[in-house]
Amino acid sequence: MELLSNLALGFSIALSPTTLFLAVIGCFLGTIIGSLPGLGPSNGVAILIPLTFSLGFDATAALVLMTSVYYGAMYGGRISSILLNIPGDEPALMTTLDGYPMAKQGRAGDALVLSGVASFVGAFLATIGLMLLAPVLAQVAYLFGPAEYFALYLLAFSTLGGIASNNQAKAALASCIGLAIAMIGLDNNTGMPRFTFGNLHLMDGVDFLVAIVGLFAVAEVFIFIESHGKGSSIGVKLEKVRIPFRDIKNSFWTMIRASGVGFVAGVLPGAGASLGSFLAYMSEKSLAGPKGGFGTGVPRGVAAPEAGNNAAAGGALVPMLTLGVPGSGTTAVLLALLMTLNITPGPTLFTDRPDVVWGLIASLLIANFVLLAMNVPMVKVFVRVLSVPPAILLPGVTMISFVGIYSLTGSYFDLLLMVGFGVIGYVFRKLDVPTVPIILGILLGKHMEDALRRAMVLSDGDASYLFSSGIAITLWIAAVLGFFAPIFVRRYLRKPAAVSD
Amino acid sequence: MNISIRALGLSAFLTLSAGAVSAAECIAPANPGGGWDFTCRQIGKILYTLGEVDSPVQVTNMAGGGGGLAFGHVVNERNTDEDLIVAASSATATRLAQNAFGGLTADQVRFVGAIGADPGVIVVADDSPYQSLNELVDAIKADPGSVAFAGGSAAGGFDHLKVLQVLKEAGFDDIRKIKYIGVDGGADAITQTVGGFTQAMTGDMSEIVGFLKAGEVRALAVLTQDRVPGFEDVPTAKEQGFDVVAVNWRGLYVPKDISDEAFNAWADKLLNVANSSEWKAAMEANGLAPFTMVGDQFQNWVNTVVASVEALSREIGVIQ
Amino acid sequence: MLHSDRVFGLVVILVALAYIASALQIQTSFMSDPVGSKTFPMLVGAVAAICGGTMVFRPGEDAHWPALRTLLSLVLSVIVMVVYAYSLKPLGFLIPTAVTAAILSYQISPRPVFAILTGVGLSVGLFLLFKYALDLGLVPFPKMSAG
Repeated sequence: MELLSNLALGFSIALSPTTLFLAVIGCFLGTIIGSLPGLGPSNGVAILIPLTFSLGFDATAALVLMTSVYYGAMYGGRISSILLNIPGDEPALMTTLDGYPMAKQGRAGDALVLSGVASFVGAFLATIGLMLLAPVLAQVAYLFGPAEYFALYLLAFSTLGGIASNNQAKAALASCIGLAIAMIGLDNNTGMPRFTFGNLHLMDGVDFLVAIVGLFAVAEVFIFIESHGKGSSIGVKLEKVRIPFRDIKNSFWTMIRASGVGFVAGVLPGAGASLGSFLAYMSEKSLAGPKGGFGTGVPRGVAAPEAGNNAAAGGALVPMLTLGVPGSGTTAVLLALLMTLNITPGPTLFTDRPDVVWGLIASLLIANFVLLAMNVPMVKVFVRVLSVPPAILLPGVTMISFVGIYSLTGSYFDLLLMVGFGVIGYVFRKLDVPTVPIILGILLGKHMEDALRRAMVLSDGDASYLFSSGIAITLWIAAVLGFFAPIFVRRYLRKPAAVSD
Repeated sequence: MNISIRALGLSAFLTLSAGAVSAAECIAPANPGGGWDFTCRQIGKILYTLGEVDSPVQVTNMAGGGGGLAFGHVVNERNTDEDLIVAASSATATRLAQNAFGGLTADQVRFVGAIGADPGVIVVADDSPYQSLNELVDAIKADPGSVAFAGGSAAGGFDHLKVLQVLKEAGFDDIRKIKYIGVDGGADAITQTVGGFTQAMTGDMSEIVGFLKAGEVRALAVLTQDRVPGFEDVPTAKEQGFDVVAVNWRGLYVPKDISDEAFNAWADKLLNVANSSEWKAAMEANGLAPFTMVGDQFQNWVNTVVASVEALSREIGVIQ
Repeated sequence: MLHSDRVFGLVVILVALAYIASALQIQTSFMSDPVGSKTFPMLVGAVAAICGGTMVFRPGEDAHWPALRTLLSLVLSVIVMVVYAYSLKPLGFLIPTAVTAAILSYQISPRPVFAILTGVGLSVGLFLLFKYALDLGLVPFPKMSAG
């Protein structure tokens, strides 16, 4: 078997006491970085790159350390989502929707263990997928042109109506706000600035991390000052931490399906982990229907986005390694690391440098098992965060947010933006306007507009180009179904209720 | 809290080996992962291994305004900082020439040197009917709508200008008709071209190396004076009758008001990096061609480049 | 009675109109571009305005706003954060962080000594975490001399 001999080669490179030690350190640092608001996998990896040089690591050691940090941060993002309703980074956004309600019910431990297992399943399956299918999957990127990407983003937005809020207008408004913010900055298609008002800080647009940390972390502090902790997760009497076998068993198929959805989203350059977790959550939510109770703190609502985003993280390595196309911010940083090590990813990497590729895959597998082994027992430590007095915890969260955002650009401007988003987040929470669609609008809005405009440039303004391939048409149908299905399902389910009344 | 205590224990271990506080800083005016980031990290790494600096060079990513934010930061706040170097490339010069940095100009910093260049290329998919740059240009002349270019820069940026220069050289003046889409980087542009969504890609040699080796794309022309070593079978645009030279140099600038000694010291250090075997290996692995020019000579060269890009941009209407 | 959703809806409509007006000012370029750089923003602005209108005519449940005292405390927190953002660069990390964290802590639980200890502890603890465990380039104190 070629695969087995390749794997053996990989493990012979990646499996030594030194690299194992590095994997443990990387996973640990990654988990912490991921859980800190504002510091996500991409800046976490970026921060640690100089360390690999100053310690004089060789290519293998550097790769093992960085991939462990990468996967560690993907695992870690969920911790603050669940405990404090503050996503550590953008892929962990969807985990707040059911994770935080679970913590409020005193089931923080269950949610953390379950999400740890889901992360493992997602990441493990994605690594297997990468191993078996990478060269084949590389071809998928060639099938996605502007028209197909536009339909894909449309699919994501069409399902937004069904998210948290009861009021459709408010959810739609929130996505519009996100889209409007996404328009700020240099317009790729003309090279001209839009809505920057001559301010250089706005030329590259508003960083979504600034928006996430503002809308969630800073707003949470305001809410807390107002309510003094009533109705939050802090101080809630916690159940004893144990392994929730029943929840794991019940959400087994959810994890498998979510991993599939996430992996595919990850393979497509430009979609990335956030879209992976979003689509995984929304598809599980519509499968479960209104009776599934998504959004109220159900285990499946925690398992789906976590399996989805970790699978997407693995999937994003496919275009990065085989095409040199970074599918997400983090893979862009890993790409930079490879290039600094004089390894150029591209179609020939698998044949030219099997040692690198299989060493990387082996170290991903190792990191995964290390993370599972590390994360489940560490849940006991994580939940103790909730017993820290709020007068220490919340100022701490604020300060960490400031430093995290400050490390992005080193400018006060982003900090002011973050505080502004904090105020908006507070007001919106009061008005029951969901904030998740704002983030998605910022994340995907620009891509969506660019895809549409590129499609129109290529077709000289012929709208039928948008439906010119099977993939595009399929995605359009899914988008239309995703938009209308919730409305019909709701109507259908209301009838029996009326009869029993 | 337990978490941070453990992290601190760990940090004690890490800092032991990481050494003293770093003195020199390199600003990469973009997010990690791009060309400027590569310049900073690679030069920083080699400076340290050669012993040119005492401690590892601290790389700061300062994304914003296509490099404008970092430029403004250096001009306004670090104008005398002798320990500061900033990654620059043709994109920096192009944007300065097009007044894209909010009124800041090229003479507000000192360009200290370039130590490599990424030759501009125009490529098509392997199954494309176009066998030479002439065939591609003729097709555009006959029907401008039949060929769409993909490139890694926004419209009006460096990649776009390469195409416009070639077509201008060919006597095609109706540049509004030329289709160009600016995507997220060179690799993305290649994917779109191999996928058949665009007919040609304009970019840098480093971006196409892997695809070229795998036989997925065919380079129609390289935009240099002479053929590039290692890629001898790729003809230059010049020998096909289009006198266009466009290379994306990789280099550094330093603050304006540092002493001449400090400026010359950085120029010498850069020269040592350029001559090191590590840098030669890095260039080869990343498809860069040798292009070394430091000190005042480089500053003068940048001035002429800025002036010519400005004239060209005005002529074709990118700036008014 | 002023209903929060109605007021908010009106604000949204005004902002959306301003956004559309601003979109009309966007410079167009020399490139041929069938969609153009104004279409998408104007579309987004229009949909937002419609959503605002819906909220004016069909408001949801009215929101509960905090009492004046709490509101003042919130405004103070915002001001402290803004000042903090400006002071981080000129004054270094340690002092502004200690002051800001202490004030925020006091807002949550009004115990002065506890708040001061929290401020100092967080400031030093986080500095060590970020500087040494994560290798971020933070400046502890104001730089005395330039360059």
